[in-house]
Amino acid sequence: MDLLAFASFAVLVVAWLVAPTQERAAAEVLEERAAA
Amino acid sequence: MENISSGDTAWLLVSSALVMLMTPALGFFYGGLVRRKNVLATIMHSFFILCLISVQWVLWGYSLAFGPDIGGLIGGLDWAALRGVGQAPNPDYAPTVPALAFMTFQMMFAVITPALITGAFAERKRFKAFVVFTLLWATLVYDPVAHWVWGTGGWLRTLGALDFAGGTVVHITSGVSALVAALVLGRRRGYGEEPIEPHDATMTVLGASLLWFGWFGFNAGSAIGASGLAANAFVVTNTAAAMGALTWMTVSWLHKGAPSVLGAAAGAVAGLVAITPASGYVDASAAILIGLGAGTFCYVGIQLTKRLRVDDALDVFGVHGVGGVWGALATGIFASAAVNAAAPDGAAFGNLQQLGIQAVAVLAAVAYSAVMTFAILKVIDLFVGLRVGEHEEVLGLDASQHRESAYQV
Repeated sequence: MDLLAFASFAVLVVAWLVAPTQERAAAEVLEERAAA
Repeated sequence: MENISSGDTAWLLVSSALVMLMTPALGFFYGGLVRRKNVLATIMHSFFILCLISVQWVLWGYSLAFGPDIGGLIGGLDWAALRGVGQAPNPDYAPTVPALAFMTFQMMFAVITPALITGAFAERKRFKAFVVFTLLWATLVYDPVAHWVWGTGGWLRTLGALDFAGGTVVHITSGVSALVAALVLGRRRGYGEEPIEPHDATMTVLGASLLWFGWFGFNAGSAIGASGLAANAFVVTNTAAAMGALTWMTVSWLHKGAPSVLGAAAGAVAGLVAITPASGYVDASAAILIGLGAGTFCYVGIQLTKRLRVDDALDVFGVHGVGGVWGALATGIFASAAVNAAAPDGAAFGNLQQLGIQAVAVLAAVAYSAVMTFAILKVIDLFVGLRVGEHEEVLGLDASQHRESAYQV
C-alpha cells in the first residue's frame, strides 16, 4: 500500500508537468474576451 | 466521577467547538458559490440550522439517536430533554467523559448534516419549507440512521459496519437526500440558458479552509479521547484532504486546461468526506489512496450530474454522496487492526467480508434516505410549497425571503 501511495503522488507530479501551461490558458482567455 | 479523564473531556469539548465552527464555515463555503442576490439566504440556511437542531437535539434528537434501543431501529424517548444525561459518563458510548460532553459533541454532527443538504436547493427554496424540511429530516432520517450505526443495539452497529466519524450517518444521508431534493425541486430558472456563476470565490476558499480546520474535531474528536487513535485520525484527515485537493485540481487542470482554485477547495472537502468513516481505522498511506479516489470519483460524479442536467446547485451529491460512498467502501478495503485493535481488518488485509458489510450499510443508508426525503418533500410541497415564485426567484432570496441584502455597493 505504501508503494501505491508513492505511485499515486508521482502520477500527480507527472500530470502537473504535462498539463496545459498557464500561458496557453491566458491566451485562451484573451481570445475569449476579444471574441466577446 | 472518578472515571472521568480531564484530558479526554478537554479534547472532546474542544472538538465540539471545532465541529460547531464547521456549520457557519459551510455557510461561507456555499455562500461564495451562489449569486450575490442569494448569499444571505444561503448563509442563513446554515446559521439557522445551527440554532434549530441545537434545540431539537436537546429535546428529542439525542434520545432518538442514542437512547435505549427499540428493535435496533431507533432510540426511545427516555432521554428526552436530556433526562438522565448528566455529568457522569455513559459507559456504552464514552466511559471517560461526562455524558453531557458526548451529547454535545454528537449535537454538532446532527447540526451540520442537514446543513449540507441546503447546497442542493440553494437559490430557489422557500424559507418556511426549508424550516419544516430540516426539522422533519433531522427527526425522521438523521436520528434513526445515527442510531442504526452508532447507537447501542443499532442494527448496522450490531452487523459490524464501520463508520468512525460519520461517512454513512452524515455524508451518505445528506448527499443522497441532496440529489432527491434537487430532482424534486427542479432546476433554477435560467439553468443551462444563462451563466450562473459563484459571486465570491474567496469566500468559498475561506469556508473550505475553516471546514478543514473544524474537521480535525470531527474526526480526531471521534476517538472520544485524547489518545493515539485521535492523533492517527488527525494525521489521516489532513493527508486525505490534501490529496483530495491535489487530485481534483489536477483532474480539472487536465480536463479544462487550468488548475481551478474552486476545484482545489472542493477537492479538499471531498478528501475530508471520504476519510471521515475511515479515519479511526486506516494509516497515512491508505489516506493518500482514499484522497486520490475522492478527488477523482467526486469530480467525475459532478460531471455526470451536470450532463444529466440535474441542478444540484452546489454539487452536494457529487461531493458528499459520492465521497461518502467511496469513503464507506474504502473503510472496508483499507481498515487495519494494526491501526485500531478494536476493529477488524479490511479487504486489503484478507477480510473481504468487511467490504460486504460496508456495502450493506451503504445500500441501507442510500435507500432509506432517498425514500424518506422524497416523502418529506412531497408532504411539504402539498401543505407549504417548496419553491419561491418566479418573481421572488428572479429578485433573489435575500430580498424576497429576508428583506435584507448582503452588500450595499
